[in-house]
Amino acid sequence: MTSLSRSPGKHAPRAAASRALPLAALVVLALPGLLGDEFLLRFAAEVLLIGTAVMSLNLLIGSGGLVSLGHAAVFGVSAYTAAIVASQVDGNAVAIVLAGTMAGVAMAGLMALVSLRSSGLHFLVMTLVIGQMAWELAFRWRELTGGADGLRGFPKLALGDWYLDDALGLYALAALTALACWSLLRQTAAAPLGQALSGMRDQPLRMTALGYDLKRLRILAFILTGITTGAAGALYPFVNQYVGPNVVHWSMSAAFVIMAVLGSIRSLVGGYIGAALYLTIQTYLSSYTDRWQLIIGILFVTTVVFMPHGIVQKIRGGKTP
Amino acid sequence: MLAGGAASLALGMPMPARARDTPIKIALITSLSGPFASLGESMRAGLSLYMEEIGHQMGGRPVKLLVEDDQGKPDEAVRKVRKLLSQDKADVLCGVISAAAALAIRDIVADAQALTFISNASANALAREAASPYIFRPTKTSWMLGHTSALWAYEHLAKQGGMTLASDYAAGREYIGDFKTTYTERGGQLDRQVWTPLGTSDFAPIIMNIAAANPAFVYAFLPGSDAVRFLQQMRDYQLHGKVRIMGPGALLDQEDVLPAAGDAGLGGLNTFHQSPDAPSSAAFAQAYKKSRNRLPGEASTSGYATGQVIKAGLDAVNGDVSRKADIKTRLLDGAVETAFGPMQFDPRNNQAVLDIYVNEVRANDDGVPLNTVIHTYKGIRDPGPSA
Amino acid sequence: MSYYLVQSLNALSFSVLLLLTGLGLALVLNLMNFINLAHGSFFLLGGYVAIQWLASGAPWWLAFPAAFLLTAVIGLVLDRLAFARFYARPHLMQVLLTYGLSVVFADLMRWGFSADTLSPALPAILRGGVWIAGLPFPSYRLFLIGIGLLLALTLWYALDKTLWGAALRACVIDRDIVETLGLNARKIFSAGMALAAGLAGLGGALGAGMLSAYPGLDEEVLILALLVVVTGGLDNFKGTVACAVLLGFVTTFSRVWWPEFANFITLAIMAGVLVAYPDGLVTRGGRKA
Repeated sequence: MTSLSRSPGKHAPRAAASRALPLAALVVLALPGLLGDEFLLRFAAEVLLIGTAVMSLNLLIGSGGLVSLGHAAVFGVSAYTAAIVASQVDGNAVAIVLAGTMAGVAMAGLMALVSLRSSGLHFLVMTLVIGQMAWELAFRWRELTGGADGLRGFPKLALGDWYLDDALGLYALAALTALACWSLLRQTAAAPLGQALSGMRDQPLRMTALGYDLKRLRILAFILTGITTGAAGALYPFVNQYVGPNVVHWSMSAAFVIMAVLGSIRSLVGGYIGAALYLTIQTYLSSYTDRWQLIIGILFVTTVVFMPHGIVQKIRGGKTP
Repeated sequence: MLAGGAASLALGMPMPARARDTPIKIALITSLSGPFASLGESMRAGLSLYMEEIGHQMGGRPVKLLVEDDQGKPDEAVRKVRKLLSQDKADVLCGVISAAAALAIRDIVADAQALTFISNASANALAREAASPYIFRPTKTSWMLGHTSALWAYEHLAKQGGMTLASDYAAGREYIGDFKTTYTERGGQLDRQVWTPLGTSDFAPIIMNIAAANPAFVYAFLPGSDAVRFLQQMRDYQLHGKVRIMGPGALLDQEDVLPAAGDAGLGGLNTFHQSPDAPSSAAFAQAYKKSRNRLPGEASTSGYATGQVIKAGLDAVNGDVSRKADIKTRLLDGAVETAFGPMQFDPRNNQAVLDIYVNEVRANDDGVPLNTVIHTYKGIRDPGPSA
Repeated sequence: MSYYLVQSLNALSFSVLLLLTGLGLALVLNLMNFINLAHGSFFLLGGYVAIQWLASGAPWWLAFPAAFLLTAVIGLVLDRLAFARFYARPHLMQVLLTYGLSVVFADLMRWGFSADTLSPALPAILRGGVWIAGLPFPSYRLFLIGIGLLLALTLWYALDKTLWGAALRACVIDRDIVETLGLNARKIFSAGMALAAGLAGLGGALGAGMLSAYPGLDEEVLILALLVVVTGGLDNFKGTVACAVLLGFVTTFSRVWWPEFANFITLAIMAGVLVAYPDGLVTRGGRKA
């Protein structure tokens, strides 16, 4: 499986495994499509879309400890753009995804520029502030975003005459997007850009000495994140035909961080695992007990204390680098 | 059995004996965490109290109450509703505290033709363009409160020199907008309109402005903890008693705001479909006080009243939940006796027609601030889809 | 003129409140280089403790020390059980641990104290008002301003001017050397953590009269505290004070003039400060460690 910091010289035995991976992923993704009922399919679609956003957050965190509390703003801005554009293009799926992705990239780019000189805690607070500014806009600009009530009643996704509003269609679209984004990030991790990003995390001083422009690298990381998060965000409103300001709020960003840690910050697939775990507990456990947030909190703390690199790393049994 | 069941349904015959024992699943969607947690718990308490009183039986069948937490987030409400309909196979949905959540789930329940009772959310849209044949609202609309406040303010407070203050979100905009429309229609003139973000902790700057302006009255809407802070800070700044405060009932809710605001709420006026002082909710208020040691506010009374409405509907069809049209007919035909008073539903939009009380917060015999009814506007009906 | 005077006093009281929210966090960040995102939970707990204390009829002025002590003890317990291993870990790990704990605490408090908004029963002496140039101003806010400034001064003195504060800072920079001097670094850290927690609780107890206590306040306070402390500058206390004053005045006056956009304006200004001063509003200067 992929990790963001792969040491050279271990290519050969891994190559076979990494070729089998997309196939395995396809099988895993096909399962809910065959077995699930309507709710499960939509739920799985949501998990995949949010998982993609969390995976993108992993990229940022993995590029130098850039824990963003404004990631939901990127996701949410793409979602709102998609919903708003939907009415303009009569539900044309391609146009919508494109528009949402571009919005995501724009938002991510903005965050990158503003936080260029920040790191660590400063970066955390900076992204929080920017994210909340986006939330204020979403909450207040009633004419555009529907304000506190959010947007509903926008057209359903369509490719030509073929409507994608049923659960299976949505799930297929979400799965495709997740697979595409995952492949993109996976390829990037193996490429020089990805190696440079891990270098930025591990040895910033040395990287500068080698002539890398860390600022430019950071912007690139953000843009990459913007693409994947934007694509996922663009599809999000169509799962429930609704988008509200809550998807931009910092509490959503905090939830992303929890999901990232639960899954594993060092693995791309960890984003999906974490999202699945968190959302499952949130949806199913809350029916049985009022104390479900306590359970998530305890799970989170346990993960941080005993499995600081997340569940996926624990399963791999590897020592943490 | 299926064929037999289908046949008997089609012929309108009573259900087979085995089916009568399977419980009717009533799902309550409420906020048990997040910003409306206290309201959500009250609603659950009210409905649970009712369920106990009727022995968990409606229309001769046992009733199972499923409770789902929407965390005050519309996205989560949508997810839960889908789950309830698709996996838990809920027969009846009820609850929903926030207007945003109610609007978010509206399309889903309308498409699924699921019988839904919106217990608390007061968004005007649900009685107008977003009304649906299967969604009933056994509670008020924002208009009903804003309108009656304006009537009272114009007659009894002042015809000019008043100002408004509200949290800047959908509910605030609705209440103030409706108040202003009716007030100015009657010929009144409002001075300033002040909007403040949701979750304002320090009202001091605004209160200073109020002190400087010295308005004839302030019509305010602030939810939950914002209301508590506002009332207390008004008292801190010696404006309590000098400036008349009026608002929709949520500003001075008996259960949600008054216990924390205490004396700072005395003298406040509000128009509401609920009052612990009203004769129709006397029995419920007593029972609730016994069980939870506090006087009920809107949320708990809504929960209780929703239970009463659902029971009336189910009793009429002997527990046969599939006969939705007959349930509708029963509810639209005659008034249902509820803790809000006799509840008639408007056939255009399934919106309840309610008596709206004008409450003044006065200290009762024990010195506890109590919403006391000083006037009743009978049978207020929302203008509906034509508005 | 008097109107602006009173509004400035309003701003000052809000600044002091912000300072109170940031006190414990500033201590733990500046001196111990430990990010405590459970800070908001301590604040809220202090508020609840004060409310219960005041409702029980015990002497009112003991409510605040009681809140301080209780939260300090809890801070101590957490230090022993959880935090100790994390002092040396990277910031990210601390963020994650303490955030998880804050989620746990939030739910426990909602379970224990219910979801209702609670208000403290303040004694009569704190409830009146004074008249400043013909406009009313609550005694409680004067009390808050007084105590807040006193606390700030005491803290600044203790941390910047005494040996104990120096020892605490030294422990962060080079623990081993400090131990060779015969000081028990472990105990110093524990004391620092307890003090920080206690301060947070004290802040909550004092602020309850203005903010009340309810689930969700912990998150709101945490955000404010982070904003104040981080924007102010992570390596000194003056920055926190400066930023609290800035934020207090910006918030108050934007509410006076443009109440609808107050939040957005405040956020924009803070973002501007963050961009312009990536090392904080006030720094010690010199190389960053």
